[in-house]
Amino acid sequence: MHNVWLIARREYLERIRTKGFLIATILIPLLMGGGIAASILIAKHAKSSSRLVIVSQDMRLGEDLKEQLLRDTDNGMQVNLISPPSANTRPSLERMIHKKDLDGYITLTPVAGGRPQIAYRQGSSADLATRETVRDSLGKVLERERLTRQGMSAADVDSMMRPVEMSSSNAAAEDNTSANFAGAYTLFFLMYLVIMLYGMNVARSIIEEKTSRVFEVMLATVKPAEMMAGKVIGVGSVGLTQVSIWMLAAVLLTATPLMAHLLGAGAHISLSAAQVVFFIVFFLLGYLLYSAMAAALGAMTNSEQELQQLNMFLVMPLAACMIALPLVLNSPGSLAARILSFIPFCAPLLMYMRISVSPVPWYEIAGSIALMIVTIYAVLWVSSRIYRVGILMYGKKPNFGEIRRWLKYS
Amino acid sequence: MPTVELEHIRKVYEAKVAVAGLSLVIEPGTMFGLLGPNGSGKTSSIRMMIGITIPDSGTVKLFGKPFRRDMLQRVGYLPEERGLYKKMNVLEQIVFMGQLRGLSAAEASKRGKQWAERLQITEALPKKTEELSKGMQQKIQFICTLLHDPELIIMDEPFSGLDPVNGALLQDTLLELRAAGKSILFSTHRMDQVERMCDSIALIHRGEVVLQGSMRQIKSEYPRNRVEVAYEGDDRFLHHASVESHKQYGGVANLKLSGAQPDAQPLLAEAVRNGTRITRFEVKEPTLEEIFIERVGGTVDA
Repeated sequence: MHNVWLIARREYLERIRTKGFLIATILIPLLMGGGIAASILIAKHAKSSSRLVIVSQDMRLGEDLKEQLLRDTDNGMQVNLISPPSANTRPSLERMIHKKDLDGYITLTPVAGGRPQIAYRQGSSADLATRETVRDSLGKVLERERLTRQGMSAADVDSMMRPVEMSSSNAAAEDNTSANFAGAYTLFFLMYLVIMLYGMNVARSIIEEKTSRVFEVMLATVKPAEMMAGKVIGVGSVGLTQVSIWMLAAVLLTATPLMAHLLGAGAHISLSAAQVVFFIVFFLLGYLLYSAMAAALGAMTNSEQELQQLNMFLVMPLAACMIALPLVLNSPGSLAARILSFIPFCAPLLMYMRISVSPVPWYEIAGSIALMIVTIYAVLWVSSRIYRVGILMYGKKPNFGEIRRWLKYS
Repeated sequence: MPTVELEHIRKVYEAKVAVAGLSLVIEPGTMFGLLGPNGSGKTSSIRMMIGITIPDSGTVKLFGKPFRRDMLQRVGYLPEERGLYKKMNVLEQIVFMGQLRGLSAAEASKRGKQWAERLQITEALPKKTEELSKGMQQKIQFICTLLHDPELIIMDEPFSGLDPVNGALLQDTLLELRAAGKSILFSTHRMDQVERMCDSIALIHRGEVVLQGSMRQIKSEYPRNRVEVAYEGDDRFLHHASVESHKQYGGVANLKLSGAQPDAQPLLAEAVRNGTRITRFEVKEPTLEEIFIERVGGTVDA
């Protein structure tokens, strides 16, 4: 055990001290956070920038639409009303659009006894946000118009049209479910990223030891199993450290007034204690499983290039999890989702996601963890055997038959 | 109590016999040479000796008892393929290796510094391993091997790739360690080195032992039938009746005399009679290399 600890500490310190670790720790969350912040800001910006003109024969209808548009965009739009239009209104508006002084105009032409005819002329066909807003507001205005015409009082119409306030908290969680969900989603990707990254790291460092021939010196005092265990634990601890730094930074950053101001109130990431505990448990299990596989791959190959070819054994199950993610998110209780979340290679990611988005019976959680532990044990058994023989083999890549023989060596 | 006792150890890889029944004994305070051309089974034998691989049959005893892993604390092993962690600081690396062999960090650091001074590389200690020259890296490895003061020192091809100065330094250090009562085994394909340093040897070829015993005993089995002559002028003496074969290298000739108790005296007399100017005339034992060639035939990969 002492040897395992020494090896793990060496691996840990060597990685923590590299510039690469520092850069990845700072850069990845910066890029991710920056990307999210940018997309939110852009979305907001797109909504508020539009300058529209409403051209209407019916003054009252025009006013109504203008008010609705302003209300829907929190006064973000510039809306002008021309009522009634003159003969050269349209050509002059076209000129303004051409000069980009105007983003679009809406023409309302009343039709006797029916819905008014509506035309929307937009400067840029790519401005989907504005188009959506206009469509929404128009719908509301026309509905109110119809209700009024059928004899309802303005006050009744207003109270009827007030948007429904839906509270979407589920029974167990606290009130901010969407923040909770965002947190789970972020953790899912973190888990995916870190398992992939550090699993490969284990394989790569074994190849490095093979190339530099250090392990033969090591093997003169240390058992192969101890070497592998130390490596897996050491590299895994680096991953855990990195994730902890990220999570801490995310919680602190989003809690600051600056970020709240920039991103709006709903953007902070909130994590329940259970979410964090399950994250750590499933992260550790997932990492153990994949790094044990990676250790075997590393021991079988002689160079990074050869490793690339075998890479798919690690990447494929993880990619399958990504593909299955929408299914699990949409109906976390469905049979397919339940089966998928029991497959040991997917369990760390998918079972974790299920737990995050909906309540899962305790026996299912316990079952999937037990199944994973059994699988990890089996994979470790096979890997340590491949590792023990493989690290002393140079030259040609072993074929399947040879690997089977390796497993039988005592 | 012998430090190492191997009895008929045998290892077969796939279809190839790597070691076919090797037996040897190494006593404390002696130096043992494991000789043989490349690929003859030296490294495979060493690996079995220290439990990296397990022999298919035969027994390995260290320090008088059957092999157990905890005995490795008393063994220092320098593999042929030297490896160090490239990104690691040199002193940290030495301490790490020392700790793996049961030293405390402080003790390992202290001994590391002492050794560095002895091998004249103190200035390398704070550097990263990858910044060092190859010779310096070898010295670091040498320190890592000896740091825990092992009773049995095993070195696989320790002299390969060393410049003459460092080679001599290593050689002197090994001789000092032998004087201090350590058992030393090293493998090499350079026979001349073994001849100078070893008390006993085993010569292996294709996994089989072809010659084994103490240096003195082996040499005594072979008559002093080699003569090296440096001469000028008449070379008719090369065809004297007692000469079995000769090789000539411009001015110097290596002769092999025939017979079980060869006498070089008549040959010298003949040369003098012919008026050959002799600047050197030396009667020698056959070298290990010559013995080896005689035993297995063919060439030695040296």
